Amino acid sequence: MARNRSFWIMAALLVLPVAAALALGGYEQRIMTLAGIYAIAVLGYQLIFGRLGALSLAQGCFFGIGAYVTGLAGVHLGWGFIASFPASLAVPALIAGLVAIPVLRLESHYFALATLGISQIALLIGVNWTEVTGGANGLYGVPGIRIAGISLFSSEAMLLMVWGTLAAAVLAFGALTRGRRARRLALLRESPEAAAAVGIDIGSNRLILFVASAAFGGGAGALQAHTIGVVSPAVLDFQIMVTILAMTVIGGRGHPAGAILGALLLAHLPEWFRFLESHYLIAYGTALLVAVIIMPEGLAGCFGRWLSVRDPTPPEIKRPVPARVSEPGGELRLCNLRKTYGGVTAVDGASLTVAPGRIVGLIGPNGSGKSTLINLATGLQGQESGTVHLGPVDLSRSPPHIRARAGLARTFQSPAGNANRTPLESVLAACPPDLTDEDAEALAMHCLERAGLEHLSGKPAGPPSPAEARGLDLARALATCPTILLLDEPAAGLAPGERADLADRLKRLAAEGLGLLIVDHSMDFLLPLADRIVCLATGTVVAEGTPEAVSKDPEAIAAYFGSRPT
Amino acid sequence: MGDAVPQLLVNGIALGSAYALIALGFVLVINAVGAVNFAQGDLVMAGGFVAVIAGEALTGRLGGGSAWTGVLVLPLTMLAMAGFGLLFSLLAYVPLRRRPPVSVFISTIAVGLIIQHAANAGFGPEPRIGPALIQADALRLGPIALSVQQIAVIGAAGLLIGLTGLLLTRTQLGRYLRAAAQDPEIAEALGIHGARCIAVTFALAVALAGAAGMLLSNHFFVAPADGGLFMLKAYIAVTLGGWGRLDGAALAALLIGVFEVVTAAYLSYVVAEALLYAALLLVLLVRPSGLLGETIQRRT
Repeated sequence: MARNRSFWIMAALLVLPVAAALALGGYEQRIMTLAGIYAIAVLGYQLIFGRLGALSLAQGCFFGIGAYVTGLAGVHLGWGFIASFPASLAVPALIAGLVAIPVLRLESHYFALATLGISQIALLIGVNWTEVTGGANGLYGVPGIRIAGISLFSSEAMLLMVWGTLAAAVLAFGALTRGRRARRLALLRESPEAAAAVGIDIGSNRLILFVASAAFGGGAGALQAHTIGVVSPAVLDFQIMVTILAMTVIGGRGHPAGAILGALLLAHLPEWFRFLESHYLIAYGTALLVAVIIMPEGLAGCFGRWLSVRDPTPPEIKRPVPARVSEPGGELRLCNLRKTYGGVTAVDGASLTVAPGRIVGLIGPNGSGKSTLINLATGLQGQESGTVHLGPVDLSRSPPHIRARAGLARTFQSPAGNANRTPLESVLAACPPDLTDEDAEALAMHCLERAGLEHLSGKPAGPPSPAEARGLDLARALATCPTILLLDEPAAGLAPGERADLADRLKRLAAEGLGLLIVDHSMDFLLPLADRIVCLATGTVVAEGTPEAVSKDPEAIAAYFGSRPT
Repeated sequence: MGDAVPQLLVNGIALGSAYALIALGFVLVINAVGAVNFAQGDLVMAGGFVAVIAGEALTGRLGGGSAWTGVLVLPLTMLAMAGFGLLFSLLAYVPLRRRPPVSVFISTIAVGLIIQHAANAGFGPEPRIGPALIQADALRLGPIALSVQQIAVIGAAGLLIGLTGLLLTRTQLGRYLRAAAQDPEIAEALGIHGARCIAVTFALAVALAGAAGMLLSNHFFVAPADGGLFMLKAYIAVTLGGWGRLDGAALAALLIGVFEVVTAAYLSYVVAEALLYAALLLVLLVRPSGLLGETIQRRT
């Protein structure tokens, strides 16, 4: 039902503006064509800014490169649309692919600057490589579109061509962000660490979206070049980027409807503010400022409930849980791990083993390296020396998502929790991608149940309580079908009753065959639960053995229990 | 050519020290609110126009050619821009203070756009010349001629950087500002008024941008579209100098100015620009967390 409504809204947004422009004729057609062109670029920008949450300042640059490719191919090489348009998609995509490797791993403020630097270089080339680009004058006489002998030179034909391409772009956008991939991208945007820890390949997801966004931008630039017949350095100017950004923020960065709404509105703004003459960009700036302040989700966000494809009723799942849930696997062996921060040695040659079906408690004073050890085991941080094995597999140098897929899962001290997703969606993000949607939903429900959150399965989106966020983190870890689970202070902040409840659940997980490593400060929680206790002090294992033995061990008492035994 | 080298270096240091003022303001805001102020360059440009207006008004009052015009215009510009900084923070930061830093990034892009096109509407796109800091003939040391105006720019910028340093390290206000920037919650708990500190920081940052605008407006003129490049230079300086480090940003900005002037003299301005961006990308490629690295270690 909701899915259908979303389809009809998108269809209306694609058809009504075209119909209106055809009815109003001439000038309105040109504005609507421009709006369609920008909507394509904005759709691409939504992939990188909306879905990945990365503030790229290169979308205008990809737009300009697409325009120049079309211009150069048409003017210098005499290529027709059939050849030049794919090239205008491919060249920006290729450039994006090349710069992606250094650029995509940067933190947000460096990413913005790096993409801005790339745009500046493109602008310098466009202005100064006069022999090829025509310099500041640009390229004149870009041919109109001709497909299979049919000329699309009239403004009506161009309008239909642009909006047809936009419809195709909406479909491509849908294909790139469909279903559980959308959930995975949401988790990735919110917390890259949490995403990697459930087996999501951050690098390839970012690469695909960045390259696709560049192709969208290039396609829009190509259509712009055909429409106005001229390519000048203005297409590489930062103004284009600001226009795309403003349309994205005002329309809404999450939903394709936002791209169309934002482009429609801002393409008409210069008309409505004609009294400002060429200074209508003041109105652009004001609209952008007002939008970012009063509607953080944009216009599409204001109609969010209509546009949502989310079904309000919880799925009725009577399917059996897929067989993979708990295959007992090999043991986790951490051997001589070492990690230093500057002059401080956080983990200093620590070794430990977690066997399937057993619970190991990891204790130690603050700063003894417990969390760092978990980070080294799961690959969030790299060790200087030492090895990590899961069964026969050497994971010592594997990235986090490979370790997660090999069966190593973890929870976090301060877990990710997003108000915009239902608990079920949040867990679906972690289910193995090769499961069918039905199997994944069954698995997600089962994991919510095992984490003690079955009552949340039908809950609508909203901010989770701290205890819920913790439970969801555990459910996500379980949804990766792990063989070994590392829990970083799972009982922190829980009431005594909740703790006892959690202890029971963890025991049941171990009984299923899962190996658990539990970090905790609270001895009354850990001692009765664990089969074995490992005590860490200043990065080294100082005591190891049964709970009774360690609680009496003088080294452990000195390091941890101190003068105040619990 | 050899005789021109000292003047070239003076020009480079003058440009670099103005960049350093811009970069200082840029880092102050980053440290205080964790967000990039994309309008910093447009605020420099605004400062340039304020200096143009103030210069014309004072020339009318003091009579043309008064040697003191520029010396009076600088503090007046800074004062006006400090007030403008408060207004700026009310528009671009205060409504978004509980949102992620990227919202402030976008709001400053928006305000920068408004400032730029308002200046365009008010003054037209043509470059205007601001008042000289000091009217004097070139200083002659044997065969070497040095522009006194440029030396005065270096002196004024150096003085302002020094005063900013003293303000931050030696005064109680400076200690409050740094405490609030380092850990807003703890600072609040100690009775430091966080919102007030942020307002003062914006005023100071924008005043420094205004000072840079005034100092650059005579030699380089001022035009509404100038802002983008100033902002870029500051942004690059902060990245090269170590994100959040005041001394690193100022030093990197100085080096960028010298590099730009020298490269432009021997090769061309376009090469200077291109090399600067290439160097930036190279640094980010080799050191994804900036040249000197960041001090903040995130917890999992």
